[in-house]
Amino acid sequence: MPTLGLIANILINLVAFGVLAIGGGLGTAWYMIEAGSRLSTRSFGPWTTWTAAGRPDADPYTRAHTVRNALLPLASTLELTYRAKADSRGGRLHAGCEYAIVMESFDGAWWSLAAFDSQGRLIQNAAERFAFTSDSVMREPDGRAVITLARDARPGNWLPTGSASRINLVLTVQDPAYAAAVHEGRPVKALPPIQRVVCR
Amino acid sequence: MPKLPKWLTEVGWRTVIGAALLGGIIHILATLAVPILGSGTAFARLRDTLPANRMVFLPLPAPGKQPLPFLTPDALYAMCRYDVSIDSLAVTAAIAHPGWTLSMHTPEGDNFYVMPAQQLRRPEVTLTVVPGADRLSEFATTPRRVSATESQIPSPSYEGLVVVRAPLKGLAWRAEAEAILRRASCTAVKRQQ
Repeated sequence: MPTLGLIANILINLVAFGVLAIGGGLGTAWYMIEAGSRLSTRSFGPWTTWTAAGRPDADPYTRAHTVRNALLPLASTLELTYRAKADSRGGRLHAGCEYAIVMESFDGAWWSLAAFDSQGRLIQNAAERFAFTSDSVMREPDGRAVITLARDARPGNWLPTGSASRINLVLTVQDPAYAAAVHEGRPVKALPPIQRVVCR
Repeated sequence: MPKLPKWLTEVGWRTVIGAALLGGIIHILATLAVPILGSGTAFARLRDTLPANRMVFLPLPAPGKQPLPFLTPDALYAMCRYDVSIDSLAVTAAIAHPGWTLSMHTPEGDNFYVMPAQQLRRPEVTLTVVPGADRLSEFATTPRRVSATESQIPSPSYEGLVVVRAPLKGLAWRAEAEAILRRASCTAVKRQQ
């Protein structure tokens, strides 16, 4: 019957309208707030930073990202916080694997490298070690520092991953000149690659 | 070429365009609403543990005892939840070594003031937090400048957080850093009427 066909057509269009409008609107908003885009973030290999984090004139996505994740960032004109969820080959950071991160000097700037689980919680470990900073890391004779991320003890700068499954690394660099270069899109010194050594 | 399901061919172009327009509006409204409606902000999480206008020294972050997610763990923190709706706030702290910072944040997490250690000749800092110019018009008075050597920092909101961060060079420096942080203070000071 033509009437039934018409009703079915209206229903299909209503459902499609609702799914596209609500699903699309909320879904894209969630993606832009949680993952970010080129509008609000800048990526260097596996490291991503929200370029306007902490600034009172930040874009709405950055502000929403800060609020939703209960963050308290310093203004990105002074300090940049990078987060990595994957290694340099794109594999998800996982406690079952061992990683090596070679920290070059940031021209004397203060930096910190910390490991968290995917929710931003510190990872329980017997060594009670959660981060290395430019002050606490042991350096090689050439000034570089090799930080090893592994479940079991390693010589040198060992950052334990404990029993966490997925890992997030957070690199904080406090250097206004460096932050300005990143914000303005100028070329900057490469961030340390995260090399997967072995997986068990 | 794969054949589309029959029901999908029934969706009209007007529906798609209308849904895209409404989806865009929902996208904008949802993004703008998060900072206003978000209940899990850093300020909300700390509100219960920090008394108003008092500097609180926090224990070293540890698993299960983190004040906030993703907070730099190799650092000691002193925080003050302020409310300048009635009085101004006097903040005193020493920012002793590189990496140390004194920062001020709105309840939404905006960092409207930050002072890193390396910009200072003397580590001791004394600041007065006052309501911003737009807020002051509600009082029709000028906040009292406590002394000529103090800096006034206008706060864009009545409430907010003062955070003093002291990165640790190692456990040997912990006692020294803790002693310096414990001397940090924030106290309400009367505004002149």
